[in-house]
Amino acid sequence: MTDQNRQENRRPSRKPTAFRLDDKNVRLAEEVEDLPLASETIIQEALDDSLLPVETAPMPVRKSSSFGRWIGLGLGGLISLAVGLAIDSLIRDLFARADWLGWVGIGLAAIAVLGLVGLVLRELGALMRLRKIDDLRDHLAETAESDNAKAARTHLKDLISLYADRPDTARGRKTLQGHMSEVIDGKDLLILAERDLLSPLDKQARRIVMSSAKRVSLVTAISPRAIVDLLAVLFENLRIIRQLSHLYGGRPGTLGFFRLTRHVLQHLALTGGMAAGDSLASQVLGHGLAARLSARLGEGLINGLLTARVGIAAIAVCRPAPFVGSKGPSVSEFMNELVSSAEKEDTGKQGKSS
Amino acid sequence: MSLLTTLTEEARLTLSNLSDAASDLAVPSVRLGVTGLARAGKTVFITALVHNLLHGGRLPVFQAAAGGRLAHARLQPQPDDAVPRFDYEAHVAALVNDRIWPDSTRQVSELRLTLDFESASFLSRQFGRGKLHIDLIDYPGEWLLDLPLLGKTYAEFSASSLARARAKNRTDLAAEYLACLASIDPNAAESEQDAQKLAATFKTYLKNCRQDAHALSMLPPGRFLMPGDLDGSPALTFAPLDIPQDASPARAGTLRAMMERRFEAYKTHVIRPFFRNHFARLDRQIVLVDVLHALNAGPAAIKDLEEALGEVMTAFRPGKQSWLSSILTRRIDRILFAATKADHLHRDDHDRLEAILQRLVGRGIDHAKFRGAEVDVLAMAAVRATREATVRHGGQDLPAILGTPLPGEGVNGENYDGETEIAMFPGDLPENPDKIFSPADSKDEQVHVTSEEIESQTELTDSDLRYLRFRPPQLDQTAEGLSLSLPHIRLDRALEFLIGDHLA
Repeated sequence: MTDQNRQENRRPSRKPTAFRLDDKNVRLAEEVEDLPLASETIIQEALDDSLLPVETAPMPVRKSSSFGRWIGLGLGGLISLAVGLAIDSLIRDLFARADWLGWVGIGLAAIAVLGLVGLVLRELGALMRLRKIDDLRDHLAETAESDNAKAARTHLKDLISLYADRPDTARGRKTLQGHMSEVIDGKDLLILAERDLLSPLDKQARRIVMSSAKRVSLVTAISPRAIVDLLAVLFENLRIIRQLSHLYGGRPGTLGFFRLTRHVLQHLALTGGMAAGDSLASQVLGHGLAARLSARLGEGLINGLLTARVGIAAIAVCRPAPFVGSKGPSVSEFMNELVSSAEKEDTGKQGKSS
Repeated sequence: MSLLTTLTEEARLTLSNLSDAASDLAVPSVRLGVTGLARAGKTVFITALVHNLLHGGRLPVFQAAAGGRLAHARLQPQPDDAVPRFDYEAHVAALVNDRIWPDSTRQVSELRLTLDFESASFLSRQFGRGKLHIDLIDYPGEWLLDLPLLGKTYAEFSASSLARARAKNRTDLAAEYLACLASIDPNAAESEQDAQKLAATFKTYLKNCRQDAHALSMLPPGRFLMPGDLDGSPALTFAPLDIPQDASPARAGTLRAMMERRFEAYKTHVIRPFFRNHFARLDRQIVLVDVLHALNAGPAAIKDLEEALGEVMTAFRPGKQSWLSSILTRRIDRILFAATKADHLHRDDHDRLEAILQRLVGRGIDHAKFRGAEVDVLAMAAVRATREATVRHGGQDLPAILGTPLPGEGVNGENYDGETEIAMFPGDLPENPDKIFSPADSKDEQVHVTSEEIESQTELTDSDLRYLRFRPPQLDQTAEGLSLSLPHIRLDRALEFLIGDHLA
């Protein structure tokens, strides 16, 4: 606060001045866009301070008990020691049998270690990338609320760099960069980013969720055993999460995937599975429709809806920006298509059976 | 206004609204009221708006254009045959080729722009016409100040005018007129010479107030500054007189009676037709305010601007529009207050400029919101004449703007010829808009403050802000020799707010 006061008070001391352009110290704004400027950086810090509660996680994270961690640590250490010992004795045995065999063993062990290191690094990278996406989403949500043009510019730059190696977003990135060099307000800029950069991805995400939901409802409708459709639902849901994360620029490894899945489940628990824009009426209507169809098809429909719901939660978790200008996908919009396709199947079946 | 005239006025308005509603059945039209005092930038706004729509300018925030739903925009013959056409082509040529701003407007003119669009909603795509007329009206901003006079009697007009003329910041400017007034007895027999002398000195006084150094805005009646075709007629030859509050009605044949008669004639023949033809039937309104010009001149000018805008805004009819009310009476259901010439300061200060404008037009905003109209406030530049830059100066990096100042503009004793491009740091607007409105400090204190810059802690002084006027931008041309659309700041946001819902 005192800092801010001082800045505000210092401002009037800057007198209006004019400079001829042949002056040495005139630089164009575009050329120095990413260089920190003495006066600007000060102001920016003040702005960012108010935006900074970055560390607040988006979802309540359950703390695992520290005892569990001790057990894990101890057991993990023991297992690693055991593995190390086993490898060590194996290589000794190999050397005892023949020298060249021992060397081959050492070579293989080295390859395995290298692979392990690479794996760990990749997992860490993936986790960091997911964390970055989460942070970006928080920042953008706050920016949308505060309508702060400067913050919007810095965070959108991050968003663009997130998709820098994706040729399919090239056009959107270029358009957005054009918008950013103009004088546009913070929130408007976010809406433009959503429209130009993210909306193609959103469309694809919807397609992914839709096709999975359809597949699930179909499998449920024709599967002979309950266990089969249970597996199908599980498989499809996990697949949705992975695909969406890839689509929105996260590259989850195994650990990252677990983390994502947990977040999706938490999100479902928090929202009660209801996406924004869903009404109870559509739920009741959906069930009524499902019951009107044959029992198997109704079950399929419900499983399909469940998948759609998981997909919507996954979109909310994977997307690097909140929905600002448009509403996110809602269950009802998936339901319409599911119901119509289910009805088609139903009539088709009846036509065959009659 | 007597009850009878009010009733006839209302009846006439309702009739013309009915005929408008009938023609709207064929193709809907939006009457966009471009409101602003003199030099607020009405002509430039209309020109830039039409130019950007015609040439498919960069309008990312304007959804219909950005989404590619705006198929075509073209100029069409206007509905009112008696009004001159807005000379769009000449204004564009002046802006683009000669790089000069249009001259101040001398008469009313009108333009109709027709948009062919595809609606984004299914229903209106099936049943809508896919066409929208936008009627734009340009007029001298001085005349706007006449509107509040409609509700005033001659005595009220005299009292308020004289109170202003005798205020501290205007006595010097009005000295000649006040002296003339003192030498004339209102109750003497009427004399054309006296009336002309009074009117002439009154006009000089109003003209003096308008100079850049004072930049005062509250200067009714408007035709005295921009007479139009009525120059020299008796309706324009009157001036406020000293009338005591409890004075009995004027006797016939006195100077006072003559002035009263002429004031009423001014209302009937000048103000009322102007209001009826151009302001009583608006759907959307944009109020352009040149805050920077007043900021240059100091707190007195700001106060004057606030008063003028507050009075003018009460003349309009904001309110919620329903289908029934739209047939009988038109109401302005969206008002946009825009601080123009936002390109004359760095984008960091735009939010502050908006805050100042919000404070400045607070009365108008409250009035409109109370009646149920939607209101938005923004800083914009219909034509962006500058670029942004950073200047490192004395250990500080200053956010500056690049542009070519108009010939004759000068800062810190240096004058520009209209050809050299300069970088200008115009000073920082205060975080708290109230500082702008606080009364000016005495000159001694200002010197004191500037000499001890580091310790200057609180008050804002005149010399902290200096906004130059810049020439229109140099436009790039494509290989085929076509000039690109005019650059702007937030014109697209203004458009989205004003007509976006009609194109949804």
